[in-house]
Amino acid sequence: MSQILPAGLKQIDTRHLSIVWNDGHESVYDVKDLREACHCAACKDEFTGVDRIPPGSIPPDVYPAQISPIGRYGLTIGWSDGHDTGIYSFEHLRELCPCAECRAGRKI
Amino acid sequence: MATEAQVLKALSQVQDPDLRKDIVSLGFIKNLKIDGPRVSFDIELTTPACPVKDQLKQEAHDVVKALGDISEISINMTSNVRSRAVQAAIPMPGVKNVIAIASGKGGVGKSTASANLALALQATGASVGLLDADIYGPSIPGMLGMTGAKPQGAPDGKILPIEKFGLKLMSMGFLATDDTPVIWRGPMVHGILQQFLGQVEWGTLDYLVIDLPPGTGDAQLTLTQSAPLAGAVIITTPQDVSLVIARKGLRMFQKVNVPVLGIVENMSYFVCSKCGERHEIFRHGGGRKTSEELGIPFLGEVPIDPEVVLGGDQGVPILLRKPGSPAALAYQQVASNMAAQLSIQNMKAAAPADLNLRWKTISA
Repeated sequence: MSQILPAGLKQIDTRHLSIVWNDGHESVYDVKDLREACHCAACKDEFTGVDRIPPGSIPPDVYPAQISPIGRYGLTIGWSDGHDTGIYSFEHLRELCPCAECRAGRKI
Repeated sequence: MATEAQVLKALSQVQDPDLRKDIVSLGFIKNLKIDGPRVSFDIELTTPACPVKDQLKQEAHDVVKALGDISEISINMTSNVRSRAVQAAIPMPGVKNVIAIASGKGGVGKSTASANLALALQATGASVGLLDADIYGPSIPGMLGMTGAKPQGAPDGKILPIEKFGLKLMSMGFLATDDTPVIWRGPMVHGILQQFLGQVEWGTLDYLVIDLPPGTGDAQLTLTQSAPLAGAVIITTPQDVSLVIARKGLRMFQKVNVPVLGIVENMSYFVCSKCGERHEIFRHGGGRKTSEELGIPFLGEVPIDPEVVLGGDQGVPILLRKPGSPAALAYQQVASNMAAQLSIQNMKAAAPADLNLRWKTISA
């Protein structure tokens, strides 16, 4: 059960989203990376995890037009390329944090 | 003559055992009036169903009395149900707390428990609604003697809930006749449940109890994604097969960050009305054991009583028919424990972050 929850969302610039977590950590994401990390069944094969997005089909200037909470456990994102079926759990988002500290922690 | 400061200092010795703080720091003391040797005040609890209400009143009385020179102490117990501030896809602004009654398996008595717990909460003075989320096998209308009732529309297009025994009700059973099977795939179930949440005129409620169908499927997904759930209660029977499946239901709520308020062991035992012998028909104690193993509060045991079934079949739940019966008393105790756990959760919870964001594409 995830008890690390977002304390706030902020748009930093046209390409970056910040999530400040309730443990004080801040994650800054390039929104294109977030779009590519969508693991709904249309984007990643349900069983093998293999990427199903045809290369080049995501526009380089894709952005999260609308972000909303889903239940008490994640966010849904309505993307500018029309894709909106992905659910990003808070756990998944935290795992995607690209900062050096988190990446070092994941290298195990 | 006592001063306000002295009275408050005395009252700060009284601890709320569930919230683990004294009643003065909790802000419960209101309308304190001292008129010579006469002291009066309100103790405003977080729920009218507080299980230690009488205990707190007695303790407060005793500590004020101990100050000396006081001839009259008048304590009025009130309540103000705190809302669980939960962000939800479908906000329900007038509803302070939404509680899901769940299980893993079917046949453990969820609907009976939902109806009786809703009535028990109401009996303490709370305003309560009951939403029947079992679209395929809705039992709530029958349990409350409202089979065949047809909900009316409000002028703004919303649906008015059916009212019975002081509860506000909604069920698929009111929208389809008793012998019409609802042969629907998931998206239809999703749609109607969203309507039940967002299109029914629930008004202001302290508690909305949601009777879930068994399992971890469409109804559960819709509710955990769309409803502002304050907590969930798991109903189980004592035997292993029920407990094993109940754990699935429990883990589901943990996965989606919905606090589990506790486990109820239904059909816990049977006491023969002729000889008084106790029979543990489905074994006994598994519910408490599971709750200890998992660190979840145990909300209580409810015995098997043919009167419970009779109440359900006749449309007057046992809590109303035989309020002094062991089963009704058990439901009352479970409801109080449930409300107490909810207060504890609500106190723990930080204000939810605003996680709605509309992306600006033009740099400011």
